[in-house]
Amino acid sequence: MTGDGLLRIGRLTKRFDATLALDDVDLDVRAGEVHALVGHNGSGKSTLIKVLAGFHTPDPASEVSVDGEPLAFGSAAASRAAGLRFVHQDLGLVHSLSTVENLALGVGFDTGFGGRIRWASERREARRRLHELGYEIDPRRPVAELAAAERTGVAIARALRDADRARLLVVDEPTAMLPRHEVAVLFDAIRRVRERGVGVLYVSHRLDEVFSIAARVTVLRDGRRVGTFAVDELDEPRLVALMTGGASLAVREDGSVEELRDGLLVADGLRGTVLDGVSFSAAGGEILGVAGLSGSGREELLPLLFGARERRGGAVRVEGATLPAGLPTAAIAAGMALVPGDRHAAGAVTSLSVRENLVLTDLRRHATRLGAMRRAAERAEARRWIEALDVRPVDPDAPFMSLSGGNQQKVVLAKWLRVRPRVLLLDEPTQGVDVQAKATIHRLAREAASGGAAVVIASSDDAELCECCDRVLVLRDGRVAGELPSERIGAHELARLQLASATS
Amino acid sequence: MYLWLAFVALFGLLRPDTYLSSVTLQLIFSEGAVTCLLALAFLVPLATGAYDLSVGALMSVSVAIGVWLQLHSSVPPLVGALAGIAACTAFGAISGFVVVRLKVNSFIATLGMSQVLLAAVLLASGNKQLVADYPDSWSNLGLEKAAGIPLVDVYLLVVALVLWYVLEHTRIGRYLFATGGNAEAARLSGVRTDRMVWGALAASGAISGLAGVIYGMRVGTFDQSVGPGYLFPAVAAVFLGASQLSQRPNVWGTLIAYFALAFGIQGLALTSSSAAVWSQPLFQGVALIVAVAMVSMPAIRRRRAGARAS
Repeated sequence: MTGDGLLRIGRLTKRFDATLALDDVDLDVRAGEVHALVGHNGSGKSTLIKVLAGFHTPDPASEVSVDGEPLAFGSAAASRAAGLRFVHQDLGLVHSLSTVENLALGVGFDTGFGGRIRWASERREARRRLHELGYEIDPRRPVAELAAAERTGVAIARALRDADRARLLVVDEPTAMLPRHEVAVLFDAIRRVRERGVGVLYVSHRLDEVFSIAARVTVLRDGRRVGTFAVDELDEPRLVALMTGGASLAVREDGSVEELRDGLLVADGLRGTVLDGVSFSAAGGEILGVAGLSGSGREELLPLLFGARERRGGAVRVEGATLPAGLPTAAIAAGMALVPGDRHAAGAVTSLSVRENLVLTDLRRHATRLGAMRRAAERAEARRWIEALDVRPVDPDAPFMSLSGGNQQKVVLAKWLRVRPRVLLLDEPTQGVDVQAKATIHRLAREAASGGAAVVIASSDDAELCECCDRVLVLRDGRVAGELPSERIGAHELARLQLASATS
Repeated sequence: MYLWLAFVALFGLLRPDTYLSSVTLQLIFSEGAVTCLLALAFLVPLATGAYDLSVGALMSVSVAIGVWLQLHSSVPPLVGALAGIAACTAFGAISGFVVVRLKVNSFIATLGMSQVLLAAVLLASGNKQLVADYPDSWSNLGLEKAAGIPLVDVYLLVVALVLWYVLEHTRIGRYLFATGGNAEAARLSGVRTDRMVWGALAASGAISGLAGVIYGMRVGTFDQSVGPGYLFPAVAAVFLGASQLSQRPNVWGTLIAYFALAFGIQGLALTSSSAAVWSQPLFQGVALIVAVAMVSMPAIRRRRAGARAS
């Protein structure tokens, strides 16, 4: 380990059971330097940050020092005392409180006689600290009213409130949820932090950001350090190749959107919070995958198609008929079905039984003309699905919550398969699901496609997309970055398209 | 359920002469019908996850309309009763509009509505007691018995049967409970959750109106203190009832809970002369807290188990 590092990490190793999350990683960050840490999903970035934050204790023989002082592992207080500060991806702000109150969270207020908060001086101080970062925010405004980049600024100001003792600021994926035009504001703040002599470890998988803000970059892959490079020595294709481990293939990526075939499902210029003009079509009989990093718009694509969220622009058509925005009942009537990414929040009514959840999508089938439910018929149908999908326990009246994650997901899938949808949207269908359930879910998706449905799977799991899709659409920065036909779907290709910056 | 039997046994031993008499039974069952109806009115929106705190005020509106029409016009009491029920249904629908369209929390919306209604009846009555002069044929509908059963309990039973059937055995009931369980998941499954909440609040108004009509038959007097006092016992019965039978708000659990409490209160009143005054709020307060604690305990245990598993 050499160099005049402010933060010096040597031979950092962290093993979780069978997997080696970090394997002999060296890293140093200099004072006043913005050092980028990049790597694809599962490369070990977050484990490294959690070690620094005192959340994980690394394996013996790992060394971390700040300003030459060894860091005591496994203690958030020790990390803080050593001058390490963190801004995590979810910021940790309380939206209903004002900016000045958020800045005081954790440290408390400057108080006067009788515990009275000295609001005037607190506000002055808050305004000054935000001003130093380049923000002009009225500290009385609730955080909920602030723009996304301003919130990040508040989180940074809070992390640096004892500015003289902060030595290193770790910023984790700060732009994942940021609209593109607000990124510049954030970068300005980070440059101001750097000018104070604080080191910045900037974690991101957005490569254009690495090139515009960092001086050096360390690349992690599968828990190992690939290398540390001065940003000037690299170009983007080379960095992508370092991250994915593939040779820098000269793959053609024209980015041109192909002529919209009038498929079963057509999205035309779809816009949402992040999505900004996404067009594609899916034909009956195919499984279309949707890939994209967090913040690429992948999370909102399926809810927008289904109307679970209201789209801001564009059109969704099923068999040529345009669906109204934000109206799931209309989508269902048109033959669409959505298995949401968050099973408990949106996929099922967890207080009801398996049977009640299963039949909810179409109660008419088991109702008399007067609207009375025939429970025996409901049970019989529920039992058929339970057996077909191998749901355990084999009990239609088991409470939904008593099932394991995989079995719950099978029930959520079954409740849609029973209405024979023509467009089946699956959002992260196998997250938190065991291996067998995963295989079942993939098989059912294929069967639905074989039966003539257009199936769309949005997933953060590249392996899943490689395995089951006929075609994969890659989203980046709210747009379609490319499309991979079946013969070219591979983990390297997928990763490359997701990572490469829009400017290339 | 056990509570009820315990009360009967305990006070039956303490005061065998008065407690187990048919007079006591008659008293409890005929006095309880109005409160039970209000409890059922509270139950319907609760199934969708909405609170209707205006049931008491709606009832007093219904009483006021019936009495006022009887005093100031020559319409038959039945027309006054129907007018009261119709008005209450409309007010329930307005609450529904506020909740569904204006996105006001149901707790707030109906609490506000109850105060507006209170103001309306105060204005109409001039803050005086109004004594209606109902014909005996009408009053008897609230006081008579058929085959030894008070007629009011027959009405209650009919309403309870209809609600039980709708809630437990029809599509509408399934939609209501799905909405109450997880409105977003229900919406994404194609349930028109807005309509469910709206309709439930209107139905709650109608049932509250009916409770007012029956109160009018029995008492024949409007007083501005009529409605609100009934709210708490009704709410307590619904929540206590939700801990009985099935682990969600249900019709028979509500009725059982109400009468179990009523028997306890009556028993205390007969045992100690001063208890008549304080036993009611004490019982209902304690019962409500215990009931809700009992209902949330399995949920807490589940959550702990879940936290361990993950």
